[in-house]
Amino acid sequence: MSVDFLHPGEGTAIDTDVPALELRGIDKRFPGVVALDNVDFTLEAGKIHALMGENGAGKSTLIKIMAGVYGKDAGTIRMRGREVDIKSPRDSLKEGIKVVFQEIALISEFTVAENIFLEGYPTGKGGSIDWKKIRADSAALFNRIGFNVDPAARTGSLPVSQQQMVEIARALAHEARVVVMDEPTSSLTPNEVSLLFTVIRRLAALGIAVVYVSHKLDEVFEIADTVTVLRDGRHISTRPIGEHSNDTLIQDMIGRRIDNLFPRKRGAPGSKVALSVENLSTAKKLNDVSFEARAGEVLGFFGLMGAGRTELAKAIVGYDPITSGTITVDGSRLLPHDTRTGVRLGIGLLTEDRKSEGLMGELPVYQNASLASLGAFARLGFVDKAREHRAVQDYVDRFRIKTPSLFQQVKNLSGGNQQKVLIARWLMRGLKVIVVDEPTRGIDVGAKTEIFALIDRLAGEGLAVVMMTSEMPELLGLADRVAVMCEGRLTAIMSRDEATQEKILNAAIG
Amino acid sequence: MSLASTASLKDQPSMLARLFARQELALLACLILVLAFFSVTVENFLSVRNLTNVLGQASLPLIAGIGCAIVFISGEVDISIGSLLATIALPLIIIMNDTNSLLVGVSGALLFGLIVGVVNGYLTAYAGINSLIVTLGTMFIMRGGVYLYTGQRAIPDDASLDSFIALSDGRLFNVIPYSAVIAIVLLAAFAYMMQHRPFGRQIYAVGGNQEVARLAGYDVRRVKFICFIISALLATVAGIILAARVGSAQHTAGLNFEFQVVAATVLGGVSLAGGIGSLSGMALGVLILQFLSNGLRGLGLPTEWQLVITGMIIIAAVAFDEAKRRRANGG
Repeated sequence: MSVDFLHPGEGTAIDTDVPALELRGIDKRFPGVVALDNVDFTLEAGKIHALMGENGAGKSTLIKIMAGVYGKDAGTIRMRGREVDIKSPRDSLKEGIKVVFQEIALISEFTVAENIFLEGYPTGKGGSIDWKKIRADSAALFNRIGFNVDPAARTGSLPVSQQQMVEIARALAHEARVVVMDEPTSSLTPNEVSLLFTVIRRLAALGIAVVYVSHKLDEVFEIADTVTVLRDGRHISTRPIGEHSNDTLIQDMIGRRIDNLFPRKRGAPGSKVALSVENLSTAKKLNDVSFEARAGEVLGFFGLMGAGRTELAKAIVGYDPITSGTITVDGSRLLPHDTRTGVRLGIGLLTEDRKSEGLMGELPVYQNASLASLGAFARLGFVDKAREHRAVQDYVDRFRIKTPSLFQQVKNLSGGNQQKVLIARWLMRGLKVIVVDEPTRGIDVGAKTEIFALIDRLAGEGLAVVMMTSEMPELLGLADRVAVMCEGRLTAIMSRDEATQEKILNAAIG
Repeated sequence: MSLASTASLKDQPSMLARLFARQELALLACLILVLAFFSVTVENFLSVRNLTNVLGQASLPLIAGIGCAIVFISGEVDISIGSLLATIALPLIIIMNDTNSLLVGVSGALLFGLIVGVVNGYLTAYAGINSLIVTLGTMFIMRGGVYLYTGQRAIPDDASLDSFIALSDGRLFNVIPYSAVIAIVLLAAFAYMMQHRPFGRQIYAVGGNQEVARLAGYDVRRVKFICFIISALLATVAGIILAARVGSAQHTAGLNFEFQVVAATVLGGVSLAGGIGSLSGMALGVLILQFLSNGLRGLGLPTEWQLVITGMIIIAAVAFDEAKRRRANGG
């Protein structure tokens, strides 16, 4: 019943009456978050099924459950009617479920051909690897797909787009019943995309059920037979693509109405430009980005996965190198790749990755908070502990940081309070511009409101806040102006009054 | 457009393949350089006797180096091998003295080595403790154990079996020491495994990118577990040969041996980060250091200087490697 792309004639006819894969009532919880709530997802053999939803809708979690990366908390999985227990990637592969993840999952030191057969080397007599067959079969496979790359090339030496194609080819080298592709076109060139679509149609013609995860509407309309939309971990709709228009799809993806969840206390922003970015480009992502942020303003940047928000955040604080453009903080030019000057000029980044780029978990609260401004507490080169503690205590009180003492290890604080410690670190240094990247990631709902209130207050005190976010409510609730990014470019800047979810999502899709 | 650009990439792999072949070629050139230098400066350096002697001395680090390299390639480290070398003589000699049988003695030693490998592998792969810490721990435990058991007195090999003594001074066709023959056979077998058996490739994959290996359906923990067992068993084989040479179980046997092996392995281009390197590279690394030490001794240079020179060579070699890799990755 299975199909091997290399030997398409050899599989038996695919029975299309029984679903190829059926997920029922899937629940998945992470600490503080319900990632999937009673989700149903049914795949038919020979059909291309698009899976859509905003960031955080649960697409990735659902795929990872199919791939055996995560276990499910509740629900059943059936392959052609037979209930299966998928506990590891191994189990999933055995059932013929091939997942092509967005991040490249190849061994870069291996040749392309070896990576193609990574999950099962063909062996000759005595169980030794048949390298000839590996080379011949991968060459034949590339030929069938129309993919032009040398199987003997070292994988790590290929550009990312070709590595992505290698990964896609790998999913086809072994028997497959279900092929899942997670944003497969994110780094492909237009030529490669059309190649990919031909391959996908051929897979479907062979009777393989294809899951196509994307947020690019035009692609979905072009390739999919059926669309399932997830939102906030719930199944929203499953319909044939013919019943959808751009608007109905976006409607399904957004769904909710956003009320003003966050009471705004600050006044109107001032007119003084605190940060000015002109024609900023980086080698990897950003393409000619220009904007200004004013004192007292919250400028919200929205973008889907891979739009370049984090890259922008790191570039404008002087952390990452840039290829062209200028950054001006409070009237002074910030040269790229120089965070020291950045901090001196008064721009700081509140990273999205608190654990590895922000906090020193083992160290106490006060040391984490005072890190960037030790010079201010120094006397003859020694830190005046008493002054340091007083200053930190002041912020703990003002921000209502819940900690038993200044000496508590910061890793024992909740996500929201950790975030406040990091904000305190920057404010103590005396900032003019603060760049916050996904300020509420991994923070539970109650604490979110507090972080919002804090950001509101920072802007109220005259800081320019540049906020990168993938969450619509956060954006519309907090920002004075909304900037939208798509694939490294700035596609729209609108005022709070002009901004609607539809407009924003349209600009984000590009 | 992109399809056209792929054509130009076609010559890239062969270039890279050459680069990687050059890794071993460079080591070979190094070895020849060492041989050439000492053949001129040291009398009788190139004599069959001296060459085969060095080969015999190299056999211990060669055998243990196979295991060391395999563990490195899997992305872990094993520094317990020196202590294991000393410890393994205890069951071996005691059992042989008791039973007068080499076979039973060797079996006992291998069983002991297996247990050590299982402990190292279990604590690292399944209990998730850092392998440097685990093997540092077992290194101390075993060394301390030998001190305690022997009371710092050698336990002589009273059985004096001919077959056992042959391990130390026997030579195939009266030329090649048996220990070197064993080393070469093991090296060939494991080199074949690493390149041509699925398990060998799994080790490379696990060391190259653990997450990718898991997604490809590999049992990452099992692969690492087995690597530690291989390493301990090979160190056991080296320990048996050492015991035959010394003719006793001694508490000082194999002191600093692990670092000698690690040095040669790293010099041979096996990366501590995992996934990179080859057994042939490791073997060349061992030979370079052995001939270097032999030649320097021939020049009358004290051992202290050998240590200093070895240290400098290792740092230079790895720095060179790192620079090359950075250039290859365009960083």
